[in-house]
Amino acid sequence: MADQRRQNEQSQATPEIERRFFIETGLASAGTVLAASVLRSQVASAALPQQMTTTGADQIPHRPLGKTGEQVSIIGLGGYHLGTVQSRELAVRLVQEAVDAGVTFLDNAWEYNDHRSEEWMGLGLQGRRDKVFLMSKVCTHGRDKKVAMQQLEESLKRLGTDHLDLWQIHEVIYENDPDLHFAKGGVVEALDEAKKQGKVRLVGFTGHKSPAIHLKMLAHDYPFDTVQMPLNCFDATYRSFEQQVLPELQRRGIAVLGMKSLGGDGQPILYGVVRAEEALRYAMSLPVATTICGIDSLDVLHQNVEIARGFKPMSSQEMQALRERCRPSSGDGHLELFKTTKKYDGRVGREQHGYPPPEQLPL
Amino acid sequence: MNASRRDFLKVGAGAVAAISGVSANSEEVSSVTVSGERTAAPAGEAPDMIYRKFGSTGEHISAIGVGGHHLGDLPTLDAAVQLVHEAIDAGVTFFDNAWEYYNGKTETILGRALRDGRRDKVFLMTKVCTHGRSGKLAMQMLEDSLRRYQTDHLDLWQIHGIVYDNDPELAYAKGGVLEAFDQAKKEGKVRFVGFTGHKDPAFHLKMLELGYPFDSVQIPLNPFDANYHSFEKQVLPEVNRRGMAALGMKSMGGTAWGIKAGVVNAEELLRYAMSLPVATTICGMDSLDVLHQNLRVVRGFQPMTQNEMEALRARCAPTAADGRFEPYKVSLRYDNPMTRMPHGFPFDHTQREVTEMLDKADGPWLVPETTPETSGR
Repeated sequence: MADQRRQNEQSQATPEIERRFFIETGLASAGTVLAASVLRSQVASAALPQQMTTTGADQIPHRPLGKTGEQVSIIGLGGYHLGTVQSRELAVRLVQEAVDAGVTFLDNAWEYNDHRSEEWMGLGLQGRRDKVFLMSKVCTHGRDKKVAMQQLEESLKRLGTDHLDLWQIHEVIYENDPDLHFAKGGVVEALDEAKKQGKVRLVGFTGHKSPAIHLKMLAHDYPFDTVQMPLNCFDATYRSFEQQVLPELQRRGIAVLGMKSLGGDGQPILYGVVRAEEALRYAMSLPVATTICGIDSLDVLHQNVEIARGFKPMSSQEMQALRERCRPSSGDGHLELFKTTKKYDGRVGREQHGYPPPEQLPL
Repeated sequence: MNASRRDFLKVGAGAVAAISGVSANSEEVSSVTVSGERTAAPAGEAPDMIYRKFGSTGEHISAIGVGGHHLGDLPTLDAAVQLVHEAIDAGVTFFDNAWEYYNGKTETILGRALRDGRRDKVFLMTKVCTHGRSGKLAMQMLEDSLRRYQTDHLDLWQIHGIVYDNDPELAYAKGGVLEAFDQAKKEGKVRFVGFTGHKDPAFHLKMLELGYPFDSVQIPLNPFDANYHSFEKQVLPEVNRRGMAALGMKSMGGTAWGIKAGVVNAEELLRYAMSLPVATTICGMDSLDVLHQNLRVVRGFQPMTQNEMEALRARCAPTAADGRFEPYKVSLRYDNPMTRMPHGFPFDHTQREVTEMLDKADGPWLVPETTPETSGR
């Protein structure tokens, strides 16, 4: 028993292993339950504010990106995991296959995996740039506009393009981040300038920590086109972005980009609280433009593409039942470590905010 | 945790030493509430020590207390025992601890130090570590603590680590730890009860709102806290309004990172915490040097003026704004392994307490996990 515990704990302390473990486990459970749940989802689907466009059973549906006039695929390729795969060749192939399968939304950030994520995505996009809606994130973490513009040039170069479709302020997770971003000479001024220069088309921000911090960003009334946040069946009853931020974004007509549909590291699936497929379907059934998925193998890509192609939104009753089922285990936040620990807080942001690096403060 | 706690003490001791001659010419503050009220030294206790009322219980305790966790950081048992003895000789009466610290080791150390007639000289506290589990388990833990302490009663028994959102609900659940409080008081095994936590003022307020008649509440208090999710602003007034004893802790911010960064020094931090309306300030001490430094601050202690306190808060405000010097609020670092375990939070394998725990295949962490009836977990 002690050994077993120790093993569990060790896997929790090792993000890479853990993420991979989740994906494999997630995959298996998605495979076994797919047939049953497709049958179940024949019930009337919830009326979604975001209408979904399907062009055929073998196509990934699209949804409108807020009020921008753009359409994006209902699943997106997450940039972080792309930079964690074992080889550049595999990363390139993942991008190519995803795009060829109809994934148009591509996520990334200047800081992911020491810039490897952007470099590999750029290689994968050679000859395919015009088929995708390309996003990256700026990582000033409180520094000035000049740093932001420099990072933009680096992102463009690595991604092999002259413009981004979407540029977001990354990881708004510290309480004073909104003040720093909106300070005179801060990153928000860089958003304006980059748009003016035609280097980015649309802008937004992201964060995984606290609905209150997101609301503080929105209170500045800056015309963000998108906002990215964790959305999953645990969040729904715990410090909830779904309850507190999502309605505000809908009211403002800002596109919602969901992430961490499986709780960030797939622990809820390992614990047996939910199955991967129902967790993903829950997230996709919310009024979001897309759900960004961490994908680090061709198998996971194929599974996600399959779920997206056959996607029928959950009914509101199904969603409510799942929220209720998850409520008891959601109550202390141990299934959403991005809200309750330092585990998901990146190195660059920690440096700027005077926090120790992950080795010294892993959780 | 060890490394940082030890680091703090080194820095803390150095900083106190460096400035110990500079302080203590400030005026007396006028507004003093129940917890902060100073009392005369009771008969037989040290004239140099400051004593304060323990809430509205009629008890009084020393204005600094010895933190239990750090007793596990001293190099030897003898060194730890000597520290406790010297503290008692200097008039310290308040002793903190918890059932779970270092897998029970720190309670055993304190028990060794208190035998031979010292038990009756102290106000002895420990904390119960059910973390959402049952009152029955709490009573088992109480027996463990009494046995390790070699005593038949505690002066104060507190619920340890109200640090997760659903902890208040679980504590108040039918069959939960509060039922053990009632039983232990009735059986004469504990005299007073309270709760502790370092995470979020909202959890403390929930514990208070739900209405149990606690005698004490333990909270982090320092000038960084005053600017960020503040226990001082949100919880301390409520504790005093209810006539409960406020017990301050983490006067150095837990890690002393604020001292290392050069924003503050140790002596002003201790003086700040002691100047708040609290019954005592619990100090982690892992060497005699640190004990002596703290005693020096206490002997020369004059409360800071409101202006001094405001100036210190203002100096700390910029770096307080993202929580960087209060890791207990924003990370799991200060959640002991046996606090995390029943809630399913991961361990940090860089912490000595974790490796020691996992090395004990049949250690006390393998207690049966009983759960209150209505907890839903």
